[in-house]
Amino acid sequence: MNPIFLVLIFLVSSIVGYFIIKNVPSLLHTPLMTGMNALAGVCLLGAVITVGYSYQAGGTGLVIGQIFGGIAVVLATVNVVAGFGVTHRMLKMFNPKKKTTDK
Amino acid sequence: MMTETFYYIVCVVLSLLSLLGISMMSKVSSSVRGNLLLSFCLLAGTVVTLWYYQIFEVGTIYAFILIGSLIGAVLAYKVQMIQMPQTVAMLNGLGGLAGAVVGALTLINIGVKPSDYPLFVNVTATLAIVVGMVTFVGSMVAAGKLHRLLSQKPIIWKNHQLITILLMIGSIASVVFAFFIGKDMGILSNIYFIMAAAVVFGSFFGLAFAIRVGGADMPITISLLTSLAGIAAAIAGMAIGDLLVVSIGGIVGSSGLLLTQIMCRAMNRSLAVILMGKTSVDPAPGNSEKPIEPVAEKEMPKPQPQENSPGERLRSAKRVIIVPGYGMALAQAQHQVRQLADALEAQGTEVRYAIHPVAGRMPGHMNVLLAEADVAYDQLYEMDNINDDFKETDVVVVIGANDVLNPAARDAEGTPIYGMPVLNVDEAKYIIICNFDRKPGYAGVPNPLYEMEKVALMLGDAKESLAQVMREMNTQKSDAPAAEPQQTTGANTGEVLKSAKRAIIVPGYGMALAQAQHQVRQLANALEMQGTEVRYAIHPVAGRMPGHMNVLLAEADVAYDQLYEMDNINDDFKDTDLVVVIGANDVLNPAAHDAKDTPIYGMPVLNVEQAKHIIICNFDRKPGYAGVPNPLYDMEEKVTMMLGDAKESLSQLLSMLHNS
Repeated sequence: MNPIFLVLIFLVSSIVGYFIIKNVPSLLHTPLMTGMNALAGVCLLGAVITVGYSYQAGGTGLVIGQIFGGIAVVLATVNVVAGFGVTHRMLKMFNPKKKTTDK
Repeated sequence: MMTETFYYIVCVVLSLLSLLGISMMSKVSSSVRGNLLLSFCLLAGTVVTLWYYQIFEVGTIYAFILIGSLIGAVLAYKVQMIQMPQTVAMLNGLGGLAGAVVGALTLINIGVKPSDYPLFVNVTATLAIVVGMVTFVGSMVAAGKLHRLLSQKPIIWKNHQLITILLMIGSIASVVFAFFIGKDMGILSNIYFIMAAAVVFGSFFGLAFAIRVGGADMPITISLLTSLAGIAAAIAGMAIGDLLVVSIGGIVGSSGLLLTQIMCRAMNRSLAVILMGKTSVDPAPGNSEKPIEPVAEKEMPKPQPQENSPGERLRSAKRVIIVPGYGMALAQAQHQVRQLADALEAQGTEVRYAIHPVAGRMPGHMNVLLAEADVAYDQLYEMDNINDDFKETDVVVVIGANDVLNPAARDAEGTPIYGMPVLNVDEAKYIIICNFDRKPGYAGVPNPLYEMEKVALMLGDAKESLAQVMREMNTQKSDAPAAEPQQTTGANTGEVLKSAKRAIIVPGYGMALAQAQHQVRQLANALEMQGTEVRYAIHPVAGRMPGHMNVLLAEADVAYDQLYEMDNINDDFKDTDLVVVIGANDVLNPAAHDAKDTPIYGMPVLNVEQAKHIIICNFDRKPGYAGVPNPLYDMEEKVTMMLGDAKESLSQLLSMLHNS
């Protein structure tokens, strides 16, 4: 893929992301941060591709690709799953239905 | 299998959906769904990737994902709210490391299809290694500090600044070398050398910058690291040429950075200052200064009743010079300064302002602020025009200025401020200094003025100090000039403190802002000495980060088992004699129970209102972040409000406990 295109995508998404976040109240900064933290685990996709391609290519790269790519996949998955899980747990505490005493 | 166009469309849709998810997380009502949407985006992204790259039949991928998911799920389920900060930091580090590994594999050409743009791939892959390693090591250090494996205090190496800069140069150099891969440049163009350099320099740079951040600034560091993890992912995405990784990484990077900025603003700190070492626990003099500080503050209430009280002096003063500094800007005290000046002028005193050229953070900073408070321009004097007049001045009032009036500049050779022109404040007959604390200014040189006899130090928030000075001025020569603001309820409060059997302390973000955790601990100790049972009630979102309060209290050595999560302590409030609230508001606002249509309606809060007596040490009566007024503030029969700096209020409580 053309590098200029990639850099452009990066810039556009950065700028849009910047404006989206502007509206989050301080109250929710905490779960927002953990949510974004989980989203940062998106390089899981990159790791998946590495494992897949090194598997298909075989040869000398196979073992290294499987070991290190595999580690990357595991790490990124832990980041993603635990990140979203923790965010979910925290947000549940905000949930009005859950444990308020009012009616 | 799947056409390019279709894949691009899916990528765009998923990017937009994740933006939508983030924006949904900005409202309490939709935040849960927002989070689910974000996780769906990543799941869909993974599936689409498997499909588009035609690697879905590779079994090992599923095995690895399964292992990761299991670990992640157990972690998410098991982790206690109280351990959240270190968990977040650690997870962040894992993401960064994954980015670095992907970068490294790409660099050595394993698991990637050959690209038409090898130069771009090499450079971005190296950059991904550097940023990923900075994120990983930085996050691990942060997690270690939060988990108390490492000291909460900033650790400063010799020549820390220099080392940091060298490591940064090394990191940049390794990225520059990546431009030469494939050319004949000996070791400099060797892939493995470059990779090793990127790993080493990146890791140590992460270590150098994270190790010097103190406990109280950790939330800022963590959000910055979140942003870095996003950037690392985006760069790794560029290296492998994956659209989705680039766009989502970019979103996280920029929004994380914005969050960092918001935090900095809220804590009144600049990012550069934190990164370059001036942390809230002042690094170098921190150790020697620590023992002095609490003593100084405990003495605070005492010096006032003296004959030469600041109020008395001001009443009899003929000529007064006011010296504002950056502390006035921080405390936003310019209006109080103006009020004091007005009061002085009303009694016939001549009032002038001495403006040091570098007072504040920008040229003319003080002038702007004073102008905002309607101070006449011709009352403001530049240093050279007023410096000779100090010796004929009866009283000088200093508001949040330090280095610019440090007499050490004249004689302390070898210090950074030696030779700097300063205001001759020390020549005046009497000096009132309203500074936040006794710590040296940015130059790090102790101010001998603080030790002089003709100086009245009023520590704490400048607004409060000024208000106190004015009150003293107005109290006509009464026998008790130190009519303290809270004294009306003082005896009563002291008794409540003494007789309490069960006390609960509720800390909030205000405690973090005032850095009052040590005073909180002192109060708790004093209460425990007299046999009171003391517990802490921690609301899950007190502070700016889950577990924020725990970190701060841990920093002040509060025992872990005294900290109770909301659900475990909420039923005990009704049997509690005394609740001390320190800088918390929304998390104990009873309006959350019944005020429909407000943002906090339905949010679980601490049942503070059920306690028998409540002391609230908040900075002001303003509503919290949610903007909902707190009805507790008006429950006069059982609530004692102590406004102003929490440190001050707490030391006042302590002295009540000792005296009454």
